[in-house]
Amino acid sequence: MTDSYEEYEAVVVGCGPGGAAAAANLARNGVETLVLERGVDAGSKNVSGGLIYAEESAPYTIDGLFPDFREEATERPVTENYIHNVAGEKVKTFDIGDLHHHDTAWADSVLRRKMDSWLAQQVHERTRETGGGLLTEVHVTGLLRERGEIVGVTTEELDPIKADLIVAADGVNSELARDAGLMDWEEPEEWFQGVKAVVDVDPAAINERFDVDADDGAAHLFSGDLFDGVRGGGFLYTNESSLSIGTVFHLDSLAEEEAEPHELLDSLLTHPLMAQWLGDEYDEREYSAKLVPDSKKAAHPSPHEDRLVLVGDAAGQMQAQGPIIKGMNHAVTAGALAAEAFADARSRSEPHRAGELYEKKLHDEGVMDKLRPTRYEVFGRLGELGPVDDLSNSVAESAVGRFGVRAASGLLERAYSSPTLVSMIPDTKLPYVTLPTVIAEELGERVEDENTVSPPDLADRIGDLTYDVGDPHIELLDKSFEASGTAVTACPVSAKDFGGGCYRDERVQTNGTEEHLVSLDTQPCVECGTCAVVADTEWEHPAGGKGVEFKQG
Amino acid sequence: MVEYDPTEYEIAELGPKIKDIDDADELREMLDLEEGGEDRVPVKTLIEDRIEKVEDEGDGEVDPETVDLASLTVADVANMVRDIDDADVLRDLLEREQAGEDRKTAKSQIESRIESVEGSDEEAGEVEYVPPEEKYPELDHPTNDKQWVEGTVGAEYRDMWVYCETQAGALVDVSKEMLGKARGLMDTYNEDYGEDERVVAVLIGADASDHVDDVIAYGADLVIYHEDDRLERFRHQPYSEIFCDMARAGGDLAAEGREEVDWKDYHEPRYTVFPATNNGRDLSALVQGELDSGLASDCSGLYIENAMISNPAKVGTAGDKKEFERVLHMKRPDFSGFEYSTILCIDKPNRDFHPQGASVIPGSFELPDPDFEREAEVVDYEMELDDGWFQVEVEEFDRLSGGVDLTGNDVVVAVGRGIGDDPTTGIELALDLVDAFDEADLGLSRGVITSSYSFDGHVEQYVTEERQIGESGQEVEPDVYIAAGISGAIQHKVGCDESDTIIAINTDLDADIRDFSDYLIEGDLFEVLPRLTEAVEAGDLGAVVGEVSDD
Ligand SMILES: Cc1cc2nc3c(=O)[nH]c(=O)nc-3n(C[C@H](O)[C@H](O)[C@H](O)COP(=O)(O)OP(=O)(O)OC[C@H]3O[C@@H](n4cnc5c(N)ncnc54)[C@H](O)[C@@H]3O)c2cc1C
Ligand SMILES: Cc1cc2nc3c(=O)[nH]c(=O)nc-3n(C[C@H](O)[C@H](O)[C@H](O)COP(=O)(O)OP(=O)(O)OC[C@H]3O[C@@H](n4cnc5c(N)ncnc54)[C@H](O)[C@@H]3O)c2cc1C
Ligand code: SF4
Repeated sequence: MTDSYEEYEAVVVGCGPGGAAAAANLARNGVETLVLERGVDAGSKNVSGGLIYAEESAPYTIDGLFPDFREEATERPVTENYIHNVAGEKVKTFDIGDLHHHDTAWADSVLRRKMDSWLAQQVHERTRETGGGLLTEVHVTGLLRERGEIVGVTTEELDPIKADLIVAADGVNSELARDAGLMDWEEPEEWFQGVKAVVDVDPAAINERFDVDADDGAAHLFSGDLFDGVRGGGFLYTNESSLSIGTVFHLDSLAEEEAEPHELLDSLLTHPLMAQWLGDEYDEREYSAKLVPDSKKAAHPSPHEDRLVLVGDAAGQMQAQGPIIKGMNHAVTAGALAAEAFADARSRSEPHRAGELYEKKLHDEGVMDKLRPTRYEVFGRLGELGPVDDLSNSVAESAVGRFGVRAASGLLERAYSSPTLVSMIPDTKLPYVTLPTVIAEELGERVEDENTVSPPDLADRIGDLTYDVGDPHIELLDKSFEASGTAVTACPVSAKDFGGGCYRDERVQTNGTEEHLVSLDTQPCVECGTCAVVADTEWEHPAGGKGVEFKQG
Repeated sequence: MVEYDPTEYEIAELGPKIKDIDDADELREMLDLEEGGEDRVPVKTLIEDRIEKVEDEGDGEVDPETVDLASLTVADVANMVRDIDDADVLRDLLEREQAGEDRKTAKSQIESRIESVEGSDEEAGEVEYVPPEEKYPELDHPTNDKQWVEGTVGAEYRDMWVYCETQAGALVDVSKEMLGKARGLMDTYNEDYGEDERVVAVLIGADASDHVDDVIAYGADLVIYHEDDRLERFRHQPYSEIFCDMARAGGDLAAEGREEVDWKDYHEPRYTVFPATNNGRDLSALVQGELDSGLASDCSGLYIENAMISNPAKVGTAGDKKEFERVLHMKRPDFSGFEYSTILCIDKPNRDFHPQGASVIPGSFELPDPDFEREAEVVDYEMELDDGWFQVEVEEFDRLSGGVDLTGNDVVVAVGRGIGDDPTTGIELALDLVDAFDEADLGLSRGVITSSYSFDGHVEQYVTEERQIGESGQEVEPDVYIAAGISGAIQHKVGCDESDTIIAINTDLDADIRDFSDYLIEGDLFEVLPRLTEAVEAGDLGAVVGEVSDD
């Protein structure tokens, strides 16, 4: 039977930036490439903040591979960058232009539906020329093995497909990486959760409120005591005619604090500081969420196995460079390098060595060192050990620490702008919460504006999304609150005392005893992946074309 | 002094060019150009590898008689054998490959070269016909229970037969789509070939005759039907026996008593078309097998054309080409429509492959407008059905879409997660209220259905998706819709907001349901529902609603 399977030289799973770059570079090298994407359209499943960076030091950038990219697929170039340290209504703003511009050729804001569907069209045209193409609405379910060796992929909609190269560019919660045993979804410390609202604003109002030209844009980041002590921060980016406003938190912290992601987003949206940018009318186009890997901990040092290579989020290649989030650019670089490695290996008639070559290129090109900086391994991890963190927290909050903050405010701004220093930041409260709060308290000024925004409640946010409901794609293995209760708060479309979400907290009487359980309805699921990590589930993506459909992303 | 400047080419173009360059110095010069120009890593690797190879090989050529196959890639093997014309050398290579690496792809390269060098000896010779039994003696018996494997050669075939499927007493749309398509195809066919062949509709079932007028209206020239109560549900044995009996009537292989019929004088149908439904797929495979032909399954396009064929198995002579007439081209999608194959079913010199058969994906062709003025010949096909064909009995069946139908009630009483404190009692109270009305039934919000509540056995049967009201459930518009403990999410609202009167019961006066209900009773459903029941039984609903929603 196996002989009759369709065969391609390369199969690329997923058409986000990683998959698109891989496919484009494979096609450029004459490789017959089939691209499989589960969404009704590429981008219909994807969420980012998002600023896409082109790094000067990167061997590949998205506009290098797709020359019209900036013209056709992005929103605004980002020219201004600030971070706001917030304590109550006091705010201290630093200009972090230096950090932003460091190694940056350009950076544009993007909305993923538009960006990815444009990329997909290019990918389809190019891969067609070498005998392949892009197929949407196909959900790849796992790896095809022959005699224990990975030789292809299995899908929900089509017969298995064999290939000499399998590129898993299937994003965070990569089912292929899990099947290969290269990644697991166990440790909340390895992930962030990102939540975002796209808010409709007239282009002229954007230019005025942010004081930018029609073809310029701004990026604002937020940290401090806005978020009930949850480690992470907020962002605001200007698009052509909308704002992307969101939050990114360490998943372990979110779980520990039993925080509600939509409420944390609302804390940002309703802060007085935002009034100047949001105005009086608030029209939310879309609410979305997605897990984000933390490359410092999750990036796989050797992301390949047999004919399989992992690129982008699937390999954990998402770099949080201090407050700046770089996932898309690394996905592009990795995808293109994987393709190059295959072309290379093939021209030596050793296609099976593609994975090994890819790993080497990731190191040689310096990608790995950005993703897993040695400085963090040495200093950052140390800072995460309990006693050290406690000590630093209390020093920062002490009078001496506070005096230091006051005396060194210029230095601090420079520190925030130093790529070297931010790459050492430990994942503790100190840099995310304590320090920014102290900075704002000591140096900040009170914001006088009144914010009149009232964001939609969760039921309305869910109600405004588009779903094509299929069979349930997540199975709750352990219904006890103890095992899976964290999902009730951590799931971005669920909440305590809310019956309309995915996860609901229930007390059930059975034979006179009360059990504390959770129940799950996958219909409102936005496929963020959180509960795969924090609850006891059997987690898969929905079938091709099914589930949530983002129009902005 | 290089022939190709690599920087002027895409890597895909360079591969084949570089392969032919044997001069290491020229290659080195190319490498320098690439480094100074585009500097593409794969291009450099390509050139470097070639340099390594030409330097290694000295004067290049490998000797096929002594080469170590393990040192060659499959591509190298393919290149090497292309230049070998001696079948013995090739056979020796094949043996060595088998003994060594044993790569399937390498072997097939060598084998196909052997075939082409040997084939060239007997050009223009007849292809000898060997019956399958002799050709494959090692097989137990390749066509063990196929009666007609040698069937017929050069027989007469006419007409396009369409199997018109019915389900639950209705002609399914795909049957109409196929009839419309067949009509168009045969009209053109008759014009092109100066023929007068027909569209024949086949109906089999317990109520087959009910559909005769319809299939005529959709394009049949001749309807053959067989009706029998035992055929109420599809079973593949009797259905395929009947179809084949009809197809053979009046021909060489006709069943006893049906050697002569006045509506058909040819051997078997020229074309057969079936729906690619569950039953249609089952039937089409059996019928085409029994009639000793092939089947193109799951087609989405059909057209009739002549075809030029050079396959010696079909033409009879290697190297010849022959035009086959009136070939049904059957297009089928691979990869959900991403690529297509076109399947042709063509006679061999010693064996006919007719009828040319296809099954068709529902929705592929347009639903034609019926013309109830059309006239056609109708044949009530008489045959005895063997009891042995009915050994498989359908004892029970479920129709999936059916289930609980909540539409058409005067009143729907729906409950939501407000019953959470005591789910079993909540359902019981709702059922009591349902019983108090004449035409009423129980509805549920999705929130209840997907909960982990444990219900006692006697109410558990009510908690199913079949009772869900809303976007992904049923839409109802009764006179009165009572929503107890339901928040009124938008997805629930779309299932009930066409109701004349909506009465909500909720502890929370701010629940969204407030926006689209006519009465909102603030209160605990465990108290309010029994009072409503009492009031209805006393014929006094209006009073209760008025009273509680005021206070
Ligand atoms: C809120 C938020 C803010 C962010 N901000 C930024 C930012 O400002 N800048 C930045 O660079 N990055 C940002 N990121 C991270 C960035 O979005 C990701 O790192 C990036 O999208 C990774 O690209 P990828 O190609 O690896 O995966 P994705 O973009 O996730 O693409 C994966 C693709 O694979 C498809 N797929 C998945 N599984 C299957 C399957 N089984 N079968 C078929 N197809 C499948 C998906 O539909 C999808 O199209 C942010 C992320 C979030 C959530
Ligand atoms: C794509 C999609 C499709 C969907 N399709 C459907 C659908 O077809 N049908 C559907 O119903 N839902 C559907 N939903 C789910 C829908 O969004 C809501 O989650 C669901 O309807 C909520 O059910 P509920 O009102 O019972 O629960 P909740 O929203 O939890 O409401 C319970 C209500 O009961 C009240 N209450 C609590 N205790 C009492 C008491 N003792 N007495 C009186 N009132 C009390 C509360 O105040 C609350 O208003 C869908 C969701 C999605 C995303
Ligand atoms: S159910 Fe799980 S995957 Fe879906 S939105 Fe909630 S946490 Fe994310």
